[in-house]
Amino acid sequence: MHLFFQELLNGLVVGSLYALVALGLALVYGTMQIPNFAHGHLYMLGAYVAFFGVTVAHVGYWPAMLLAIVVLALVGVVLERLVFRPLRNAPEVNTIIAAVGVLFFLQTLAQVWFGGDYRVFPTPYDKVVHFAGLVATQQQLIVIAAAAVLMVALFWFLKRTLTGATIEAVAQNRAGAALVGIDPNRVSMMVFAISAGLAAAAATLIASISLISPSMGFTVILKAFAIIVLGGMGSVPGAIIGAYILAFAESFGGTYISSNYQDAIAFGVLVLILTFKPTGLFAKGT
Amino acid sequence: MLEIKNLGVRYGAASPALEGVDLTVRPGECVTLLGANGSGKTSLFCALSGLIPSTGQIRFEEREIGRMRPAAIVALGIAQCPEGRQLFPDLSVEKNLRLGAYVGRRDRRGTEAALERVCTLFPDVRDKLRSPAGALSGGQQQMVAIGRALMARPKLLLLDEPSLGLAPKLVEATLDAVAEINRAGTMVLLAEQNAYAALSIAHRGYVLANGRVVLEGSASALQQNELVKKAFIGA
Ligand SMILES: Nc1ncnc2c1ncn2[C@@H]1O[C@H](COP(=O)(O)OP(=O)(O)O)[C@@H](O)[C@H]1O
Ligand SMILES: [Mg+2]
Repeated sequence: MHLFFQELLNGLVVGSLYALVALGLALVYGTMQIPNFAHGHLYMLGAYVAFFGVTVAHVGYWPAMLLAIVVLALVGVVLERLVFRPLRNAPEVNTIIAAVGVLFFLQTLAQVWFGGDYRVFPTPYDKVVHFAGLVATQQQLIVIAAAAVLMVALFWFLKRTLTGATIEAVAQNRAGAALVGIDPNRVSMMVFAISAGLAAAAATLIASISLISPSMGFTVILKAFAIIVLGGMGSVPGAIIGAYILAFAESFGGTYISSNYQDAIAFGVLVLILTFKPTGLFAKGT
Repeated sequence: MLEIKNLGVRYGAASPALEGVDLTVRPGECVTLLGANGSGKTSLFCALSGLIPSTGQIRFEEREIGRMRPAAIVALGIAQCPEGRQLFPDLSVEKNLRLGAYVGRRDRRGTEAALERVCTLFPDVRDKLRSPAGALSGGQQQMVAIGRALMARPKLLLLDEPSLGLAPKLVEATLDAVAEINRAGTMVLLAEQNAYAALSIAHRGYVLANGRVVLEGSASALQQNELVKKAFIGA
């Protein structure tokens, strides 16, 4: 029983990270049908911004996270404006190639600027908390809570504000949105800003549990894509549920079956679910 | 007042979708734009709403709007209920309507009043405010689409084939609603293939063919016109 709860905790931590990353990917795909392969590298960039915020500028953990969110939101806007908007009416393969191009560009940039070494992100929250026989670090609890807060805030924004509704409007009918006076280009920029900002928050949260390096985006992007396929391409609730399913499959599969096959078990679960629900858990429309 | 002079629209290298179109809608008028499929009605509406580039002049209340952006045109008072409705299918009817008031969003009171007005005009819509728009019947969706355009509190309402795909009874109900909107003081430009129904509520009309105006006149004159009868009414 004790082991079970420990794995539940690990699943929640990793699921929170996956959820924040997959959400951004799902938002961009759902609104613009752009599969942003560079999303994991925005996450990586976010980790470095926060890292330098803490270690060089000494601004403290939370201000560093805020800084990372703001910087990455700006990077997202620039990416939309300079790379993806010009390709709006081009064949989808052009968009895919552009996204992969951005991925390699950011990868190279990070190698040159930051070096290939793994770095340890210092956290002020490294104390261990004991609760009913369970052990957790403060940072783990912060990851779970902060992710929950961010997700609730995003839902509130999407469902309860008119500006949030413009995102769903553009996702569902771009022409209709333009006709009521919504500028679809501005909405696209806003979605990229939110998406990259969430990735930066996720990176700052998890960086102090794992290590940071220029290639940290690769595994995360693979998993995030698997999650949004599982959730139903572009579905926001699907991305969240899918993230926790994958994370729990990893943590429980790794503990109770075999830790060597952890990823294989997790992706096996995904394939199994997709066999029964080929369009994903929350497929949109028809 | 809307004054269009020498309007042209061209998609790529093909022959123009519109050429040399002159058209006017005066204050208080309901004007119908008749024309077979492919004659250019939708292109004219898209040009008016700023969705596609056009040549020539489009003046609305003494302002040149030909190069303005869609949001600015809606803000000036031209709202469109487009062909195929273009609703947001997974959003509730109420959100669809509220988004119709997007450009006037700072005027909260005006938005609530417009919502009330739409619900009074279309009682069915009031009962469905919480349903996703995509779950409604075709006729109800048409009401929501017209309602969404009205939420912008337009001075000129553009309606692109609102009766398309509706049962005859619903066509009549829809056009009755359009007539009522017009009587309340909103200028209406109504594109239709259903000439008989459109001419019964319009003051004047234009007939488009291959992107040009081939005929114009009062509704009663057009109703009597042999060409209109033969081409559209099937007499
Ligand atoms: N997006 C487009 N690209 C190329 N040609 C178009 C496009 N939209 C319309 N056309 C052409 O323009 C002409 C007018 O079409 P349209 O304005 O849709 O007429 P209507 O609304 O009267 O049916 C047609 O010949 C049509 O094929
Ligand atoms: Mg048409």
